[in-house]
Amino acid sequence: MTEGNSLESSGTGKLVTQDLSAYYGAKRAIESVNISFPDKSVTAIIGPSGCGKSTLIRCLNRIHETTPKTRVEGHVLLDGQDIYEQDAVSVRRRVGMVFQKPNPFPTMSIYDNVAAGLRLNGLRDRKEIDRRIIQSLKGAALWDEVKEILDQPGIRLSGGQQQRLCIARALAVEPEVILMDEPASALDPIATAKIEDLVFDLKKQYAVIIVTHNMQQAARVADQTAFMYLGKLIEFNDTKEIFERPREKLTESYITGRFG
Amino acid sequence: MPQMAERKALSEGLQHLNENMVTMAELSELAIRTAVATLDLPGVEAKPPAAATPSDVFTLDQEIYGLKQQVEEECVNLIALHAPVARDLRTITSSLEVTTHLDRIGRYAKDIAEASERIRVGVSGNTPTFQKVAKMVDLTIDMVDTSVQAFVHRDAEPVRNILKADDAVDHLHAEVFQEVVDRMSDRSVTPQVGAQFILINRYLERIADHGVNIGEQVVYMLTGERPPRVKHSPASAV
Repeated sequence: MTEGNSLESSGTGKLVTQDLSAYYGAKRAIESVNISFPDKSVTAIIGPSGCGKSTLIRCLNRIHETTPKTRVEGHVLLDGQDIYEQDAVSVRRRVGMVFQKPNPFPTMSIYDNVAAGLRLNGLRDRKEIDRRIIQSLKGAALWDEVKEILDQPGIRLSGGQQQRLCIARALAVEPEVILMDEPASALDPIATAKIEDLVFDLKKQYAVIIVTHNMQQAARVADQTAFMYLGKLIEFNDTKEIFERPREKLTESYITGRFG
Repeated sequence: MPQMAERKALSEGLQHLNENMVTMAELSELAIRTAVATLDLPGVEAKPPAAATPSDVFTLDQEIYGLKQQVEEECVNLIALHAPVARDLRTITSSLEVTTHLDRIGRYAKDIAEASERIRVGVSGNTPTFQKVAKMVDLTIDMVDTSVQAFVHRDAEPVRNILKADDAVDHLHAEVFQEVVDRMSDRSVTPQVGAQFILINRYLERIADHGVNIGEQVVYMLTGERPPRVKHSPASAV
């Protein structure tokens, strides 16, 4: 950690990394990252392409290791317990993820898209599935738009609706942490605004961690912002501090756009 | 350090804003000096032409106000179009703040010039001398100049001691007030003239306060920190 990080990795966050490094083959993508993500709060991770921000969040639900020849060092504590000492599948149920491009299951209906995770987790009770689907679609601010067409294919929805469908799918398994990797970068401004409003609501219940290229988006939605560069965490602080008076010269250069 | 991009449009906008700010600051200082010169006070070195008239000050005040409006528009445009952050943002919001103080300084200069006109009308022969008003003028102009230079040169160091200078101005303000009251009491100055000097004294004290505010804003602009305001001593209840 450098001086610029006034939010210490105190170990009190919902999700805490300790000396976390990640590799693709011999190449180290992130280096000894110590960061503590608070519960019921949105943390944005910003930084130029290739800085390691996506790799970082892919380590937080053990998706990184699903790519061949990758490796992780250090620890990731979820409620104080190292996720790398737990079953990866159950970790991913507790730490959900939404990707850059909406990826609904192409042949499934809207209903089945949201139900998929529940069924994979062994839920068979139809009433309970119905209840969770309604709750998730409402939670993803999509219910009103799809309640009459639940049996239609998910891919018929607009891009923004598809992304909210994927968020509903992530919410259905009742996770504790939601990771979002550029969730609005493929969407138009109106769909983006809907996702941002949704993120704002989600933090009442979850720890939300969002990777974004869009600095204004980070400024709008995040309570804390982390700036990464060349695989290192350069600065981590309250968002308003980062955008009003960053401590590190590198952060200042990046957020003012005088960089690269 | 990675290679820097320039963000040309924003950089040019900020540069133009700065040029207007510097001009506005220079005109505000000139307005004070010209206003003071119209008083023709012994012991005060009038930097502008000795033949300065109140109407010169009125013209300057108009000019300052025009620049203020221009600066405000530029700032709003820069915020709307470029979503500035960090130091860029602080520079723009500080310029907005400083421009208001400079405008107020211009307005007080105008008030002094108007008082000066009223004194000329009411006085036959020489203007009465108040030694301490001259000192008040010097200190006030010094304070504004310090803050303005700090803004222009982007150096917060010179304004670190500005609160002490403001204390000195506050004390002088009380002393001048007393001096004018005494001179009115012993009838060496008419109430008409004395009242004008009490006003001028007050205007100078207000100008010094705006100088302090500009200085504080410069510190914020450059460092992101808001310096705590410590009042050194209570000024007398004038």
